[in-house]
Amino acid sequence: MSFMQSIKAGLFLAAASATAVLASDAAFKPYAGTKLVVNFPAHPHYSAVRKVLPEFTKLTGIQVEVDQLEFLKMREKQTLELTKARGDYDLIAYVVFSKADYVFADQLENLARYFMNPKLADPAYDAEDLIDGYVQNIGVAGGRKGYLPGPTGSLFGVPFGAETSVLFYRTDVFEKHKLAPPKTYTEMLDLACKIPQMEPGMGGVAMRAASGHHAAHAFLLHLAPLGGRIFDDQWNPIVNNEKGIAAAQALKKIVECGVRGSQVFGPAEAAASFAQGNSAMFLDSTVYAAGFENPANSKVVGKVGWVKHPVGVRAGSQTGGFGIGIPKNAKSKEAAFLLLQWLTSKEADLKIALEGGNPSRYSTHKNPTLNAKFPFSAAFGEALKDADPDWRPIIPPWGKINADLGTTLSKVLTENADIKASLDGVAERTRAEMRAAGYYTWQK
Amino acid sequence: MSIATANRLTPYLFLAPAAIVLVVALIYPIGYVIYASFLDWNPSQRIGEAAYVGLKNYMKLLGDAAFRESLWVTLKFAAVVVTAEMIIGVGLALLLDRNIRGMSLLRTLFILPMMVAPIVVGLMWRYMYHPTIGIFNRTLTSMGFEAVPWLSDSDWAFAAVVIADIWQWTPFIFILSLAALQSLPRSALEAARIDGASQWQTILYIKLPLMLPVLIVTMLLRLIDAFKVLEVILVMTNGGPGLATEILSLRINRTASEFRALGEAAAMSNILLLVLMGLTLAMFLYSKAMEARARALRAAPVGEE
Repeated sequence: MSFMQSIKAGLFLAAASATAVLASDAAFKPYAGTKLVVNFPAHPHYSAVRKVLPEFTKLTGIQVEVDQLEFLKMREKQTLELTKARGDYDLIAYVVFSKADYVFADQLENLARYFMNPKLADPAYDAEDLIDGYVQNIGVAGGRKGYLPGPTGSLFGVPFGAETSVLFYRTDVFEKHKLAPPKTYTEMLDLACKIPQMEPGMGGVAMRAASGHHAAHAFLLHLAPLGGRIFDDQWNPIVNNEKGIAAAQALKKIVECGVRGSQVFGPAEAAASFAQGNSAMFLDSTVYAAGFENPANSKVVGKVGWVKHPVGVRAGSQTGGFGIGIPKNAKSKEAAFLLLQWLTSKEADLKIALEGGNPSRYSTHKNPTLNAKFPFSAAFGEALKDADPDWRPIIPPWGKINADLGTTLSKVLTENADIKASLDGVAERTRAEMRAAGYYTWQK
Repeated sequence: MSIATANRLTPYLFLAPAAIVLVVALIYPIGYVIYASFLDWNPSQRIGEAAYVGLKNYMKLLGDAAFRESLWVTLKFAAVVVTAEMIIGVGLALLLDRNIRGMSLLRTLFILPMMVAPIVVGLMWRYMYHPTIGIFNRTLTSMGFEAVPWLSDSDWAFAAVVIADIWQWTPFIFILSLAALQSLPRSALEAARIDGASQWQTILYIKLPLMLPVLIVTMLLRLIDAFKVLEVILVMTNGGPGLATEILSLRINRTASEFRALGEAAAMSNILLLVLMGLTLAMFLYSKAMEARARALRAAPVGEE
């Protein structure tokens, strides 16, 4: 970016925030002095948020106290908090698969009445600029299949700290062997096993595969682009059809051509294998990008390229991360809405991204100042267009199905269990779970 | 109130604090878990909102292959680790029951593993078992052997968690056995020596039988603990690969937090409690029988032997 461009961008930012202050003074005044308690996960995005939060207090006079917890602990604590008659939290960040549980138990505020309130809703908010796949995946419930948008859906949260999957690759290794970064699954799987032959000791693709949640997550990452789903539109499990088998075969091939011990890699181990230069590619969330450019724990600084999650029969990368919503039992809901709106506004989204957070808006991804600081953000903005809101079902029985899928796939990876028979077993047990949960009540 | 009634009630008054503590600290939580096991209860509900489903949770568990596998892994794990720890622990105690210089230092060193926090033990072993940078595989490959898939093969993973548990808990058995050995009546040992008993004979016929009551209690304590071990395995393998190391307490934890089925988790806890109670009772009866036998032997007139 040229010097003049940076000055222009700077001036634009300054002007935008000045107008925001003038226009919003009246909206914030009634809530000055309020103290909000918010519950956030321990996550790079939310650490960036904490650096920007004092500006909100300066602007509005609303104090914010942050309770930050590891994300699974956070979920456990929220589950208890939300059942209380009067909760301690005014705003919560929830992990995407909690949406089903919280909305089903009627514990999150429907945001419609806040966006309808002229005293609270900022007309310049520009919701169209929010990354669509995430609004659908994290924010909307009650539409198609219950967890997706549709004519009957409504908004319960706003994405905040959203991630998608991309393929990271070693530019130096690819250049050395005159290889092109893979665009399709066939190319990726081919390279996954070819590179270890060209570069002895190096694994092809590093990715999570450990028993349980991680193996299930890895399978789902392949399932969507290869055209599969867990359920059809009538909730019949179809995980064992030919597309499911192809996804499991892809996972198995990647693990077999990976470095030693790949079968039990969590995402952190897989990322470490790539960062230490032991793997040529890494398929996982965008959130790891900044870490690979940090010389303190990466040996591949300046040698990392990114491409979109490879395409199988369709483009479909993961939608993950967090959203923020207002608990039904919150004390100061209107002030909490003002915070929610400010945090996800264009202005704050950019500020947080510049501190290392994950943008939730298309405009932020395109921002030249941000791209100068983090070269990957424009590429990730493009990758987000492929984010598939239905890559994983968000329904209350999912926790158990997910664990069963993950342990069964782990047996495929470590004990050479037959893929078809294993997935048939998952489908059968899934059907029993779904029946018990009442999903076949309307089936003829 | 007459003085007689007051007198009669006085003992109950003195017993009351203990009874209240017992009810509050023991009966109430156990009753709560038993009650919860009859409910279809998820953590987003208060317990009062949960539906009563009778024995459904227990029936579901009996038909659940993953639960049965988990129960089997637990039994296998407890049997293997407790047997190995008893043999090594008692053996070490017998070897070290003598006046060696620096014995107290050695004893302190021996019990160090027990004092390390379980999460740290799990992490430590996980890194030692690491496929490429772990000490075990690095040593093996530097000596020209094949690397071992410690945590990524189901049999090796089970062996790996067993080794870690033996490392951590053998000292417990060692220290209690040593204390038992050192408190044995010297007269019996001296009598055996005068009668010309060999070292082996002294161990087999004098030391071990005299130590038995302590050994049984020690074994019971370890067994109860082995059934409930959670953190080390959680950190090392999280139950994987597959379900190879998913012991029951880990499954209970996952059922409650991941599957959000509190009623089912409570039913599992109750089954674990029943298994443990059965074992405790068996041990108790065995030691009672042994005591009765010893009493009978002591009471028998010498001439009849």
